[in-house]
Amino acid sequence: MIVAVLAGFVMFSLCVGTLPTAAAAALCVLVGGILLAFGHHSHGGVLVIDVYARRSRYFAWSPALKTACCVLLLLLCVASASPWVPLVLALILALLTVCGGGIHLHDYLALLSLPAAFLLLSGLALLWDYAPAADGAVAIPFWNGWLVVTAAAQVRARLVMARALGAVSCLYFLSLSTTMPEILSVLRRAHVPSVMTELAVLIYRYLFVLLSVYQSMKDAAASRLGYSGFARSIRTTGSVYGNLLATSFRRSGACFDAMESRCYDGEIRFLEREKPVTLPAALLFGGLLAGTVACMMIGGA
Amino acid sequence: MSKQEKQAVVLSAVLSLALCGATSASAMHIMEGYLPPSFCVIWGVICLPFLVAGVFSIRRIAKEQRKAMLLLAMAGAFVFVISSLKIPSVTGSCSHMTGTGLAAILFGVPATAVLGIIVLVFQAILLAHGGLTTLGANTFSMAIAGPLVSWGLYRAGRKLNLPKKLNVFLAAAIGDLFTYCVTSLQLAMAYPSDNGGVAASVVEFLGVFAPTQLPLAVIEGLLTMLVIMGMEAYAMPELRAIGYMKEV
Repeated sequence: MIVAVLAGFVMFSLCVGTLPTAAAAALCVLVGGILLAFGHHSHGGVLVIDVYARRSRYFAWSPALKTACCVLLLLLCVASASPWVPLVLALILALLTVCGGGIHLHDYLALLSLPAAFLLLSGLALLWDYAPAADGAVAIPFWNGWLVVTAAAQVRARLVMARALGAVSCLYFLSLSTTMPEILSVLRRAHVPSVMTELAVLIYRYLFVLLSVYQSMKDAAASRLGYSGFARSIRTTGSVYGNLLATSFRRSGACFDAMESRCYDGEIRFLEREKPVTLPAALLFGGLLAGTVACMMIGGA
Repeated sequence: MSKQEKQAVVLSAVLSLALCGATSASAMHIMEGYLPPSFCVIWGVICLPFLVAGVFSIRRIAKEQRKAMLLLAMAGAFVFVISSLKIPSVTGSCSHMTGTGLAAILFGVPATAVLGIIVLVFQAILLAHGGLTTLGANTFSMAIAGPLVSWGLYRAGRKLNLPKKLNVFLAAAIGDLFTYCVTSLQLAMAYPSDNGGVAASVVEFLGVFAPTQLPLAVIEGLLTMLVIMGMEAYAMPELRAIGYMKEV
């Protein structure tokens, strides 16, 4: 609700002055309405992105190709000088993720609402400026000066927001089609220090253990009225976290004993499924990259 | 704009600023694609020496004591889990702990830097908090600057013989606040204000994020204090295993 109001307000500050006021207002109502309908993000023990990635139709594609191309697209997005290239790219990638990958539109928008909060709050700081004189598209008297939105700030904010949207859609394309272990195996082949990748793989596996332990601790505490009232819920949360840390240390001791008895020598090797680069995947990513570079060249010239 | 329109805009601005507290407080992470390329590279390079030191220290730990590797992995998973869970908060918003103050007090700064960057990659990909291009900047603010302050304050507090509860609370809360100031500074350096430059822009970013971050720092401090008290009461052997109790 608040995100929706905020979104409407930021859209209005973005467009006022360049579009007619009525159009700006319509746009801001539209964006606010969309966020109001879809914008909520769920909390819970389940890592939804991981579940979606395993369900995606792109899951069978080569993880190395997906990772490399998404990172390249990401860099192009961030380096782009015009807001249109990242915006179009964001639209294409969102369509691909939703229609091609089979992620529900509702889920995708719910995921987007998460970075949206950051984008909107910092958008406010980018757009509104404190100035001694009232010049710009909008000016509000404030504290013997003015809060203003200048045309330059609008141009900058549009570029920053477009870049961020494009980059987020690249990241989502990757994370909603590739699971963490696959990305880590790509990193291992890219010669990231083995200490880090091993640690990361172990962390990934322990996440699910800890999340289920946490869930049962929380249920146990909640069924004993541990979360009634603010002060008590802070106290309960503190002791649940402390207990979780203690339990996790005990778990890691048991894991170590199990690994030791299976000839652990300080190195951990995992079985990976072969996923060769396929023609459609190569064509799609080649086309996307070439298209983006071409657009940026034309736009830059 | 007519007078009425202006009033409407002012009203909505006040409303949104007053209610900012109810939006997600994952605002601490700079989102994907938000920083210009040069800043992404610079922050990454600044993090490099800390990470190299961290990798060496973990490699040494793993060689001397293989069990410690698993302990560190569990610690990383723990930091990720608590940073993804909702904590009770005054405004009814979705707040998360950063957990970095706790990690710094328990494991020291170099190990926290390496755990931090892994956790940030996980957060970017599994939770959509933060991002890959802003990894350097986020690592610096959340896994290096904040923990350094927490750890330093904790050490100083022990020298001064502060009561332990107060010491842990202050270290975690101020470390958290420092992270938030560094993040605002990073944003302001990338996008300085037209009239007033970086300083004015810092104030703007600080102001916009303050409603969520100030109460959050207090809660983070309280929770860290409770976790450490709880562990001292119930998990002494584990605390000794990670070398936290030896020094007391």
